[in-house]
Amino acid sequence: MKRSCFIEKSLMGTVAFLRESVFADDYAAKKGFLQARDPRFKTAAVFFLVLSVLFSRDIPAIAVIYLITLLSAGCSFINPVFFLSRTWFFIPFFTLFIAAPSVFSVFTPGEPLASFRIGGFLLQITRQGAAGALIFFSRVLVSVSLCVLLSLTTKHFALLKVLRVFRVPQIFVMTLGMCYRYIFLFIGIIQDTYTAMKSRCGYAVSPVKGQRIVAWNIATLWQRSYQMQSRVYDAMLSRGYTGETYLYGGFRAGVRDVFMLAAAAVIFFFVLWQTYCSS
Amino acid sequence: MHIPDGYLGPATSGVMYAAMLPVWALASRMVKKTLKNKQIPLLAISAAFCFIIMMFNIPIPGGTTGHAVGAVLAAILLGPWAACIAVTVALVVQALLFGDGGITAIGANCFNMAFVEVFAGYYIYKFISGNSPSTSGRRVFAAAAAGYLALNIAALTTALMFGIQPLLYRTPTGQPLYCPYGLSVAVPMMLGEHLLVFGWVEALITALVVKYLQKQDPSLIVSGKEG
Repeated sequence: MKRSCFIEKSLMGTVAFLRESVFADDYAAKKGFLQARDPRFKTAAVFFLVLSVLFSRDIPAIAVIYLITLLSAGCSFINPVFFLSRTWFFIPFFTLFIAAPSVFSVFTPGEPLASFRIGGFLLQITRQGAAGALIFFSRVLVSVSLCVLLSLTTKHFALLKVLRVFRVPQIFVMTLGMCYRYIFLFIGIIQDTYTAMKSRCGYAVSPVKGQRIVAWNIATLWQRSYQMQSRVYDAMLSRGYTGETYLYGGFRAGVRDVFMLAAAAVIFFFVLWQTYCSS
Repeated sequence: MHIPDGYLGPATSGVMYAAMLPVWALASRMVKKTLKNKQIPLLAISAAFCFIIMMFNIPIPGGTTGHAVGAVLAAILLGPWAACIAVTVALVVQALLFGDGGITAIGANCFNMAFVEVFAGYYIYKFISGNSPSTSGRRVFAAAAAGYLALNIAALTTALMFGIQPLLYRTPTGQPLYCPYGLSVAVPMMLGEHLLVFGWVEALITALVVKYLQKQDPSLIVSGKEG
């Protein structure tokens, strides 16, 4: 794609990202292992595992949690190619790129592991640097995988309801729920505006003109949003809104949910013991 | 500037959550007090607006692209407390519903973008724009300066968080456990890219949007001032 059509590129990227997220909601509707779990217990279990990864200083322990994550994804009928591309792409790759220089003695001095010369400069990879980069990368990868797994296997409205269960203030939960819907609406508005603009002005846009178009789009979006608020409030009133929000439908936990949460808690406390007490 | 899970150690993440709890509590109290019931959808709309801004890449000389955070713009248009909630919600939606960003790093991300950037940007904008009329060019300059400076201040706090990790978490043999770069690397790297590139993107977007709104509906800028 040409650089001149960066607006389209940006828009298509955003639309693809959102479409992928809607498509991901289909996974939440499947009848897999994690989809059948109570969202409260599942969220708490994932949180325990993310904390375990955060506290762990041991590659094998992080690898075991990654294995559990992959197995859970498999048992939840998530396409492995989709899951791996979603979790490896961007954040972990970006982390790999960031962590790469830290393997050298310039950044992490220590015991030499390998050395080579580039243009007269001696570069030395240290054991401490390599181990640090590996644990850093694996920690980020497993944390991202766990978060993606939670969002893939839980209906988004259920996740919002879980926040309320965990005592997140009502104003945040209500705003989150409404915000999620507006994101899709706004993307539609921007797409329509851009298509109309393209039909009138053509395809190629210079960077300076492009910057103005983006700013114009953002300004117009704000103006429309501001005008929209009173209509949205009227719609809320017509549905019986009285200033309080109610989330309908309860959760039901079973033995398997309790077992899953207990297992995650055991892993977490084992990691804590391993990190702070075993030595 | 989004920090994913795994970059910060448990103590830093915990302290950042603890630091943000009173800010969130105060923000929700202030918003309940200042925002009328009728304006509640505006908060959600603004959060979605911040989310969309973060997804909009604009070209940078040299062939790359960068995106604005939109926190200063939200602060100018909504006031700092409502903007704090809006940016927080946008970051939580990204982390929780789209799996982009970190659960344990939400506190740190919100501290940098929903607190430091929002409040720094708002007060810099207020200081520079003074009592100038809502259509004055001084407000456009104030928006640009606030966008640029506030993003760089937020980049500095992010860099400090990264930079203290090797000091806090290192094995006895010297192996770093979280973000591997100390302050001497993290601060110049983060500040360098934000001073040279991303700060200008934020300044440009904030100023151009304020300029367009001045032409189309200056009352929107006035209402932000009151918030």
